[in-house]
Amino acid sequence: MSKFRKEEKKGAPGVNTSSLPDIVFMLLFFFMVATTTKESDPTVKVERPEGVRATDLTPYKQRSEIDFLYLGKPSNPARVDDFEMGYAMFLDNVAQPQPGDLYTANMISRWKKDKYESKPPRMVEPIENVITCVKADKGAPSILIFDIRDQLQSIDALTVAYAVSDKGAY
Amino acid sequence: MAKRDIPEINAGSMADIAFLLLIFFLVTTTMDKDTAYVRQIPKKLDNPPETPPIEDRNICEIRANSQNALLFRNEELEDPNEISEKILEFYRMNEVLTESQTEARIQQSSYEGYNYPFYSFITLKGIEDAIEKEYKLAEEAEAVDNYDIADFHYKSVDDWKKKQKALQTLGINELKEIHPQAHIRVVVQQRTEYKLFAKIQSEIEEAIYELRDDAAKKYFVESYGVMKTRRAMDKADEQGDQPKLDVLKVLYPDRIIEVRPKK
Repeated sequence: MSKFRKEEKKGAPGVNTSSLPDIVFMLLFFFMVATTTKESDPTVKVERPEGVRATDLTPYKQRSEIDFLYLGKPSNPARVDDFEMGYAMFLDNVAQPQPGDLYTANMISRWKKDKYESKPPRMVEPIENVITCVKADKGAPSILIFDIRDQLQSIDALTVAYAVSDKGAY
Repeated sequence: MAKRDIPEINAGSMADIAFLLLIFFLVTTTMDKDTAYVRQIPKKLDNPPETPPIEDRNICEIRANSQNALLFRNEELEDPNEISEKILEFYRMNEVLTESQTEARIQQSSYEGYNYPFYSFITLKGIEDAIEKEYKLAEEAEAVDNYDIADFHYKSVDDWKKKQKALQTLGINELKEIHPQAHIRVVVQQRTEYKLFAKIQSEIEEAIYELRDDAAKKYFVESYGVMKTRRAMDKADEQGDQPKLDVLKVLYPDRIIEVRPKK
């Protein structure tokens, strides 16, 4: 007879996971608040240049008063030679996309018009105030930016935004 | 009947559901904000009115060539970071002069600020006269069906009205205004990299921001950036920021001309 019980064979006690959903929900809410939805995955490579004091476009995005246009080298290297100077454009939400979704500047006015006309009339701002945001690659030649501007000018879409990644205040 | 315990719902899979949602949001959203420089493209006119000659002192020209070298008002510039300081100098050189000093120095070619834009002093009375004059010109143009010219004059009426409004918002009688033709001109070549083009835009924005921020702190005791962000968030302008931003825009206009490279 002994006062000490023989040590029983015991497994490690299970960790209580009842608060796991709470933790995950917390993470979920964090990400829902801190991020914005991607508008589309472009098929051109865009490395944005840096700048300071840029305007934050989030409020315009939330009100869908903005169209995005990407200018960069096609991700598919086989198609680089199809375009002038090797740079192609990717437009967000085109009605009938072309293979690879790559365009040259002359498509812009039609794209912009289609998008503008498909919006419900109560949301419509005058077209000159709808921002066209050009996300161009660091190395893109400036002439293409001006081609885009000419296209926008021809349909009176007079607000353009040059995207940069904001370094913030130095 | 005997009381029965209600069986508990098994919440073991709650975590799985939450994870699923979490992963969905991780995949479809992005962290980085979209930031950009917003610019206005000039309206296309069929018969543009003849532009009066612009004096060199009112042009702040920034040139960039295909080799990505910079020329600021015909002087070579090694470091693009200097552009913003130079633009500030362009705006501020003659800002401190009084009316009589301005009149004296505008003729004096030995004066160091001779090649910079001068400021003019306009009163509410002067603005009213100008509005009347522009209306008259616009009506004359309309009478001969020249609508582009009429639009041009109506636009200047709007400009004068903005100045009038600015004076009223500030509650003063006299406005010190940079020469109405003073502007920043960005001239690039076909192959200038977008990186440099964006850098020039960034430097311009930095200079304008600083000018307006100083004025905002002076007149409204608030930072320009705060006002601008609040205005963008608040579509109906319930905070009343728009008149203040308009004042800053009248005080330090951002007239930027981007010149299309030649083919």
